[in-house]
Amino acid sequence: MPRITVDGEIIEVPDGRTILQALDDVGLLMNGVDIPHYCWHPKLSIDGSCRLCQVEVEGIPKLQIACNTSVQEGMAIRTDTERVRKAREGVMELLLVNHPLDCPICDQAGECKLQDYAYEYGVEASRTREPRRALKKNVDLGSTIKFDQERCILCRRCVRFCSEIPGTGELRVFNRGDASVIDVHPDFPLENDYSMNVADICPVGALTTQDFRFKIRVWFLEDAPGICTGCSNGCNVHIGVANNKVYRYVPRRNDDVNDTWICDSGRMSYKQIGGGARLKEAGVRGEAGRLENTGYEAAVREAAKRLRSMIEEHGADSVVVLASAHATNEDLFTLRRLSDGLGAGADGVAVVQGKSDALLIKADKAANAAGARALGFGPAGPVLDRIRDGRAKAAIVLGHDLLDESHLGGTEALEGLDLLIVLDVQQSALHKVADVVIPVRHAAEKYGTLTNHAGRVQRVEPAVEPAWEAWSDGEVLTLMGQALGLEGFEDGYDPAKISEWMSERVSAFAGVHLRVVGDQGRPLPGERA
Amino acid sequence: MLKVPYVTGYLSEHFGDDGFGTLSGYEARGGYRGLRQALDTSPEDLIELLKSSGLQGRGGAGFSAGMKWSFMPTDSDRPKYLVCNADESEPGSFKDRILLERAPHQIVEGILIAAWATGAEKTFIYIRGEYAFPADQVDRAVAEARERGYLGAKVMGKDFAHEIVVTRGAGAYICGEETGLLESLEGKKGLPRKKPPFPAQYGAFGMPTTVNNVETFSHVPHIVCKGADWFRGFGTEKSPGTTLFGVSGQVQRPGLFELPLGTPLDEIIFEHAAGLLEDRPVKGVIPGGMSMPILPANQLDVPMANEFLRERKTMLGTGGIMVMDDTTCMVRVACVISYFFRDESCGQCTQCREGTGWMNSIVERIERGAGEQSDLDILLDVAGKMEGQTICAFSDAAAWPIQGLLRHFREDFEAHIRGKKCPFPGSFEL
Repeated sequence: MPRITVDGEIIEVPDGRTILQALDDVGLLMNGVDIPHYCWHPKLSIDGSCRLCQVEVEGIPKLQIACNTSVQEGMAIRTDTERVRKAREGVMELLLVNHPLDCPICDQAGECKLQDYAYEYGVEASRTREPRRALKKNVDLGSTIKFDQERCILCRRCVRFCSEIPGTGELRVFNRGDASVIDVHPDFPLENDYSMNVADICPVGALTTQDFRFKIRVWFLEDAPGICTGCSNGCNVHIGVANNKVYRYVPRRNDDVNDTWICDSGRMSYKQIGGGARLKEAGVRGEAGRLENTGYEAAVREAAKRLRSMIEEHGADSVVVLASAHATNEDLFTLRRLSDGLGAGADGVAVVQGKSDALLIKADKAANAAGARALGFGPAGPVLDRIRDGRAKAAIVLGHDLLDESHLGGTEALEGLDLLIVLDVQQSALHKVADVVIPVRHAAEKYGTLTNHAGRVQRVEPAVEPAWEAWSDGEVLTLMGQALGLEGFEDGYDPAKISEWMSERVSAFAGVHLRVVGDQGRPLPGERA
Repeated sequence: MLKVPYVTGYLSEHFGDDGFGTLSGYEARGGYRGLRQALDTSPEDLIELLKSSGLQGRGGAGFSAGMKWSFMPTDSDRPKYLVCNADESEPGSFKDRILLERAPHQIVEGILIAAWATGAEKTFIYIRGEYAFPADQVDRAVAEARERGYLGAKVMGKDFAHEIVVTRGAGAYICGEETGLLESLEGKKGLPRKKPPFPAQYGAFGMPTTVNNVETFSHVPHIVCKGADWFRGFGTEKSPGTTLFGVSGQVQRPGLFELPLGTPLDEIIFEHAAGLLEDRPVKGVIPGGMSMPILPANQLDVPMANEFLRERKTMLGTGGIMVMDDTTCMVRVACVISYFFRDESCGQCTQCREGTGWMNSIVERIERGAGEQSDLDILLDVAGKMEGQTICAFSDAAAWPIQGLLRHFREDFEAHIRGKKCPFPGSFEL
């Protein structure tokens, strides 16, 4: 570990890294040591072209770019001298020579590095009298991204992203000199599973997403840490919230999970949180065969009451339990205890499979498939068999993934059940045949943990509150357990306590629970993740 | 017959002789003796010979050729390459063109000696796309050398293999910058590479590579045949040897003149180039290709070698001397130069991409009569910001000539601003 001196402070940094990389590794870059930069990005190759990150290195007459200068034992760097300040000012002035300065109508304003650095390191007024470059505006590069060529400062992060991360290479620099522009080739639009990341890494308002642009000014947004629930990779996200509404996901850096990226379908999955497909009303099927709104808690109690009479009539063996891989570890630990406490005939979890790739996208299309399995929920097959062959009379079902073609493919097989209790976030065809329907919370609305495909346990917390009554699955199941008089439900549902209890009771989770996983997650014992 | 006037030295002695371009003609005049001699010398001794000769690269930067060769790794089992930079594109320079046309075997011989000295197994000759005729001459010379056994698995029967590949550029000035050239050679856009790594570690196709100019290679056979002391008999102590000065502009006898480094600029202009047309007075002279700062009429006594030119805040560059008489509008000169650099900047680095365009816009506005006094400070300030802060030297090369013009001919600029029009006769299309 070489020691370098930055502005007089001695810092120990990893070997074989450049100055920016090393400072980023130890968490000091722009967080104690300010070296502004545009073209450099921690997860892309070094470009060395914006020239903003120049610093003084003792013993070298010329200023050096911090992104491409390797650290060496005893190296002394200055980031705060007059020369460095003049160099930054020079770069900022030249970057602004052709920039349209249209911040008032630019959607990037507020999270624009050109704006930020111009305030911090720039000159006060423009000295140019020449007209600014007139280039393409409002260009659709593909179905996800809008491009404003005039705002582009040619840092080429987006070009390197497309070449290096998805490997699709749609974006290129065309022409040269001050005629250089970024564009796509004719008939080869920007279409890949990760295309929207270019908007995140674009330091200016040149690339914006069709989805988010002009929805809200970013300074009205508050960022809540969250986990994408689109698949079992568990990509870390910032959930952008205003007025209790989610406006977007942007990737939150986690070098062990998703670096600084997220796939497009995961990014768009925020729409499930507040979308029109949410299940909002608890219901109990009455004599007339219609679901009736009896109030939330009453529906939960009714579910428990009907379950008790089924068990009295047909025995606990006639009950089956199907977990949801969308629920948290704490929800599922509660379900595990309920299932065991009842002595249910079978339990399992239905996980929908989909496409996967070598980058982030995983085949399990649920955030907590690994958690469900670690809590002993096996394949859904044995549960579904009991439903099909009539051995099962009652079922407790979380979510509606069993309706997928790979499982039941519809509700027909469920019509033979005497009692179907459904806890779900979304509306589905299940509610046509369910006897009790209880809306529950999305992962972005509750405390808990999710276990990703590699066994990393990651925390979720409420970013928004549902505008209707909805509890977390664990809370509903706890009330049912109490109503059924089962042991271990007396203390109610406190996710942190339940989590800690789980880590004591379930060896797979030994020592790993909500209060200790932090904002970057923690691998289960024995997992490399 | 060569049509441009020339003064002969060892490089150009046989330029007038059409047979010199062929293998037999070259050998009849002593060609390839240097290679034969070099193959009996150890690579280490050859590099030492080059170092002690003091040969400076003739491509513009003037770096010691022997030092450059010594940077090639000797402990690497990766293939090593040489590149002959024949992408001569500097406005005002045409020496390499004549060397390629008239003496291609002199280059091939120099390359083979360098290959032996550095352990390179292949050389790429990268020729400017517009140089069709010179490229044909090189193609022919390479084919002749191969047929004669000077290229291939056993060069001159020795246990030494070498191949030469001739490639053609596609018309960008920046591909003359050594790492821009390497990118272009690899089939990519000619964007200079950030350094480190340097070409000696990571060059053409990622292999250790040395890039030398056409003229640099041409000197090598002579140094090997006649020795370092002989070579140092020409030129100055710090800048030994001759070089090919290409003189253009408003002179009586524009042409290529091989003269010792250190020859005074006024001797070149008034003796060799026979003075100015109509005996008009000199206004300014660009001493070494367009990217080198201009010298005013009262500084023509300067000896043409870097150690003296640096004192006058300019450099030898490629030795392309452009002479301008007293009718020249220096703002128009600035327009031409700044437009060239605006057009040819690769566009990677902020300062260069935006600075070249901004400077060009300002000087064109001054020429149109819409300049302001503050524009001159802005020009100098922008040029200062472009200097020494970018991936390659192009940005410096774009800034220096503007600084030079303002240093010596500020009055021309101020006259435009005061009079709100160009005071010089004739029309000038922007």
